[in-house]
Amino acid sequence: MSSIAKGDLILEIADLAVEVQGRLILDGVSLAVRAGEVHAIMGPNGAGKSTLSQLLAGRSGYEVKRGTVRFLGEDLLALPAEERARRGLFLGFQYPVEIPGVNNVYLLKAALNAQRRQHHLPEVDAFDFLGLVRDKMRLMQIDESFLGRGVNEGFSGGEKKRNEILQMMVLEPTLAILDETDSGLDIDALKVVANGVNSLRRDDRAVVLVTHYQRLLDHIVPDRVHVLAGGRILKSGDRNLALELERRGYDWVRHEASAA
Amino acid sequence: MNAVAQSLTPLARLAGAQTGLPGGHRWDERRRGALERLIALGLPTPRDEAWKYTNLRLLERRELAPAPPRPLPASALDALPPRHGPTLVFVDGRFHPALSSTALPAGVDFTPLATALATELPPALEARVGAGDSVDERIRLLNAALLGDGGLLTVAAGRAPEQPLHLVHVATGGGAYPRLVISIEAGAAARLVEYHLTLGDSDSVAVPVTDLSLGAGARLEHYSVGLGGARAIQLEDVTVRLEREADYHHLHIGLGAQLARLDLRVRLEGHGASTHLAGLFIADRARQLDIRTRVDHLAAHTSSDQVYRGVANDRGRGSYDGMVIVHPGAIKADSRQSSRNLLLGPQASIDSRPQLEIKADDVKCSHGATTGALDEQMLFYLLSRGLDRDTARALLTFAFAGDVIAKLKVPELRPFVEDRVLGSLPTAQLIREFIR
Repeated sequence: MSSIAKGDLILEIADLAVEVQGRLILDGVSLAVRAGEVHAIMGPNGAGKSTLSQLLAGRSGYEVKRGTVRFLGEDLLALPAEERARRGLFLGFQYPVEIPGVNNVYLLKAALNAQRRQHHLPEVDAFDFLGLVRDKMRLMQIDESFLGRGVNEGFSGGEKKRNEILQMMVLEPTLAILDETDSGLDIDALKVVANGVNSLRRDDRAVVLVTHYQRLLDHIVPDRVHVLAGGRILKSGDRNLALELERRGYDWVRHEASAA
Repeated sequence: MNAVAQSLTPLARLAGAQTGLPGGHRWDERRRGALERLIALGLPTPRDEAWKYTNLRLLERRELAPAPPRPLPASALDALPPRHGPTLVFVDGRFHPALSSTALPAGVDFTPLATALATELPPALEARVGAGDSVDERIRLLNAALLGDGGLLTVAAGRAPEQPLHLVHVATGGGAYPRLVISIEAGAAARLVEYHLTLGDSDSVAVPVTDLSLGAGARLEHYSVGLGGARAIQLEDVTVRLEREADYHHLHIGLGAQLARLDLRVRLEGHGASTHLAGLFIADRARQLDIRTRVDHLAAHTSSDQVYRGVANDRGRGSYDGMVIVHPGAIKADSRQSSRNLLLGPQASIDSRPQLEIKADDVKCSHGATTGALDEQMLFYLLSRGLDRDTARALLTFAFAGDVIAKLKVPELRPFVEDRVLGSLPTAQLIREFIR
């Protein structure tokens, strides 16, 4: 769909400060994500991780006080949520909402076709679409009965997360932001989800994993690890930083940052 | 002219419309009595507790006298879905044999009320036909004042006709006052599908009153679809009595009319009787659609559940006013009420008031009501997948209506209602593909 080469800038956040209901949640976040990379954003609860994810996907209710966000060179914050999705940004939700009465498979098909229209590609018909989605469902170990059900309706926590990854696999986003996709998963489900994410890794795409725990990173090895705390990225490193966080917790990063 | 005189005027004029109605002197007396009481009481106003949400000011400028007999164009019923099963048609409240099925299934008996009024009725039946003159039921009084036709419909004990029975009401302009007395005898099971139509956008005032009784162990699924035109007024009153172990389902779909109100009263008189009431209305444009239910638990182990969904758009208004009373002795009664309402525009409004009065011990009752805009989380989820805003909103609106539509168990009715619901939603064409 595009001519993105490994190393191209996909997401560039500069000095981003965001208020939610008058409270400063993000206070100067800067981050650059390039094609071919997997980044992990880690941090304690309340660090602003979910705010960052939701803001990037276009949720309303956030007030940007300063800073910029560029996605494939464009001003991301100027685009409505649906436009961001069609241009290849995907958010895997921490708590995917149940929408009874809106069929899973039709949502998926409508989402894919909205994106294809954006890229002036012919729409996929129902028959071809089912073929495409069935293969991906097998990989995600999602039961066929899922096709006839409402979006996330009656799904367990793990099923909802697998459904998020399935949607991501169908949409093949340029940038996938996965917000706490590992929370609430047992080890088998975690492996299934990790397989799904790894199957998407390519030189022209990027993934941002937002997570509290290191264990997901055993299965999806990140190129860069960032610690988000108190509304800023306090430290960045390679995957060894994640292992160190696992061992030592987050406090030492905060102490180190405040000492600096 | 003061307000009282204004509200009396159309009623006072009705005295002239009472002559020449079927049934002879005895029924003339009863009709006169009903009109006198109604004139003394006046039409309900929003100051009456039971009419808080329904403003009848529109009635003041309408012709209430029964519509004169008019030829009905053959296309009058074209708007309806195919009907598999017998159909009885009532035009301006009068039974219309030419458009109705001649053959009814074994065990189903129908007599036009105009015919029945000319005969000596069994006292119990006569009491049911004449019922409705009590003080606070002014809509029934209005119907009783002009009572002339409708029908007596019986499904004999133990019978279970395979096909649903269809009752089609067409209003052509002016007043319509059908009275239906329906008996589902012990152990019988039936399905009843009622449609309320108007001819074009004629000025019509329909006041249908239905008296239903279910014998021991009887079961009735009763569907009612309101499709009135832009200037139709309908004030419908349905009363149901259930004996031991009887089971009554009422599903109301309100999609038309300028002003439509349903008063539905269910009396669970026999041990173990149960009722399931559900409804969906879409108050778009400037429609006012009101639902008022009253369920009386009068015996032990009775159960009732109510699921009402309202959608208002543009300048549409609606209400759900539901009262459940668990009377002394109705132990182990089980009652649930759910009213959820969706407002799609800043000028739309819906009032919701589920109420519960418990006078017995050892009962299980719950109720809940919500009114609000589309769920922001759901909307964001759909947008975050690239759906445009109009499609996302239409999908969520249709999904909101979905749990009532799913209760339509008559096969031809469901696609018809789905289609009409889609037709009344903004940007509906965008989502037709989603539901098939």
